[in-house]
Amino acid sequence: MIPLSFLICLLPPCIVGCIDDEQYPDSPQGNFEALWKIIDEHYCFFDYKQHEYGLDWLEVYNKYNVRAREGVNKQQLFEIFTDMLAELRDGHVNLYSAFDNGRYWRWHEDYPTNFSDTLLRRYLGTDYRIAGALRYRILDDNIGYVYYNSFSSGIGESNLDEVFKYLAFCNGLILDIRGNGGGALTNAEKLAARFCQEKTLVGYIQHKTGKRHNEFSPMEPQYIEPSSRLRWHKGVALLTNREVFSAANDFVKIMKCFPQVKIVGDRTGGGSGLPFTNTLPNGWTVRFSACPTYDRDKQQIEFGIAPDYAVGLSNEDFIRGKDSIIEFARELLVE
Amino acid sequence: MMKYSHPIHLKELSVRRLSWAFLPMMWFCLPIVAQEQVSLSSSPDAMTSTSLIGIGTTRILDTYITPEQFSGTGFSYLNIRERVKDNRRWNTITEHELDLSSTDDRSGNITMLEGSYNLYWGYYRKWNLLADRLHLQTGGVLNACLGFLYDMTASNNPAQARAAVNFMPSAITTYDLTLWQQRFVIRYELNLPLMGMMFSPNYGQSYYEIFSLGNYDHNIVPTTCVCAPNIRQQITLDWQASKRWTVRVGYLGNYQQTAVNNLKQHVYTHRLLIGVVRRLVR
Repeated sequence: MIPLSFLICLLPPCIVGCIDDEQYPDSPQGNFEALWKIIDEHYCFFDYKQHEYGLDWLEVYNKYNVRAREGVNKQQLFEIFTDMLAELRDGHVNLYSAFDNGRYWRWHEDYPTNFSDTLLRRYLGTDYRIAGALRYRILDDNIGYVYYNSFSSGIGESNLDEVFKYLAFCNGLILDIRGNGGGALTNAEKLAARFCQEKTLVGYIQHKTGKRHNEFSPMEPQYIEPSSRLRWHKGVALLTNREVFSAANDFVKIMKCFPQVKIVGDRTGGGSGLPFTNTLPNGWTVRFSACPTYDRDKQQIEFGIAPDYAVGLSNEDFIRGKDSIIEFARELLVE
Repeated sequence: MMKYSHPIHLKELSVRRLSWAFLPMMWFCLPIVAQEQVSLSSSPDAMTSTSLIGIGTTRILDTYITPEQFSGTGFSYLNIRERVKDNRRWNTITEHELDLSSTDDRSGNITMLEGSYNLYWGYYRKWNLLADRLHLQTGGVLNACLGFLYDMTASNNPAQARAAVNFMPSAITTYDLTLWQQRFVIRYELNLPLMGMMFSPNYGQSYYEIFSLGNYDHNIVPTTCVCAPNIRQQITLDWQASKRWTVRVGYLGNYQQTAVNNLKQHVYTHRLLIGVVRRLVR
């Protein structure tokens, strides 16, 4: 006799359902719906930005939906989408196509750069040292100067050992990250651990757990532990400007927790959401903030971190070949 | 321009009904596994080793990476080892399946790579029917899956890790026939979902948070045939070329799919297989 269990197994596989997702058509309207929905279900700052400047994503839908109609060409569609995404006022929100990168850069373009390549060359000279992504030297008044322009460029532990060994007898350290637009958080944490003397609460992180705007996990604390290798105990002036963004913004958040570190320069650009990417039916890629991070007081840092000493580049100093922010930091460290 | 394709929703009701149907079978199979292990390992009479390569299509969806679907070509290697004991009702089958696929989205701009290794270890009870021409086997299969999906163009969250263990009720039927004085065997194998465990990030959770910060949030998820309705089926035709060697051709369909943590994933592979079966007599 044919066993019952065998007959059960022969039930056709179609009884078990398919797991699938809604696919929008590759048309201007379909791409618009797909983009709006991706942001609607995944973007992490809706509530905060509604509170800050009245962002209403449903209103944004109504405003731009009428523009994304049949007949618009791909350049026009790209412009509509970029305008719509700019409503989020987020440097982590980008639209990538083969012909252009849509972006919102007003977080730094609307402000003075407070940084000059020309002046940097005056301070670094030509005989500065390079260790990984770090450029460094000892200034005339025995202050160490380290410039790190991108956390996308890696640094090794042995690089850091060599830098701190070389600068060990300096009276203080200027760590210049102006223009650093971010990169790998692990590089930022690796460098920050060299200034940490004990396990320190530096912030919080959470992530979305569902599609609704307010569905988040509990805030999880972020700690930094001291590096087991060479560490810096003396005073540090961390130089910032509006171009300090994303992982660099996170680095400032961490460094602000250490008592020997002072932030000098301009407010940072922000960018506290860990970005994710998704794609549209037409093959364009959209990037957006997905996981919010907070400072140690559970406050938002999406729109930047204020410095301890607000200093800008002055024209007079520039003409004299002086970087006002570096000069301020030197005086601060000598004091 | 692509036409609008309607979504196919999970048939939860049917799946629930199916899961209840399998529960008695689980009860039927498991105790006997324990009873028969000793006798099986004592003196196996024969073993067949099958090596097959396959080529075919792959369809991928992973809403953690993107809501877009991907399709393309994939390759598989399948090794099947079956321990047969004469005059015994029980046998074991071990299968190693390796898949690699390269797929594109409908625009052709985005490429997704897929790779996976699946181990299937099955224990079956056998019935011989129709004058020993029809053989029916039912039992349970333990499946371990490791794999990845990788979006070649994404700068953030480009990859998804896949890791799961499943228990799958399984049935195999083989039918011996003789045509033109040649011996052929038709074989059909079906593995159906029941329960398991899998790894998954939470809906918007980054791998940085899981692995660098060590934050756990429902990342090990119990699964059932409702949220992980994985199905695998093979149909093959063997031509016995000699006493030791048999040529096998067939089809392998592996339909792996999950809906956990508000994320949906499916990896459907269809493969045309060709290979050889070698009989190892002890």
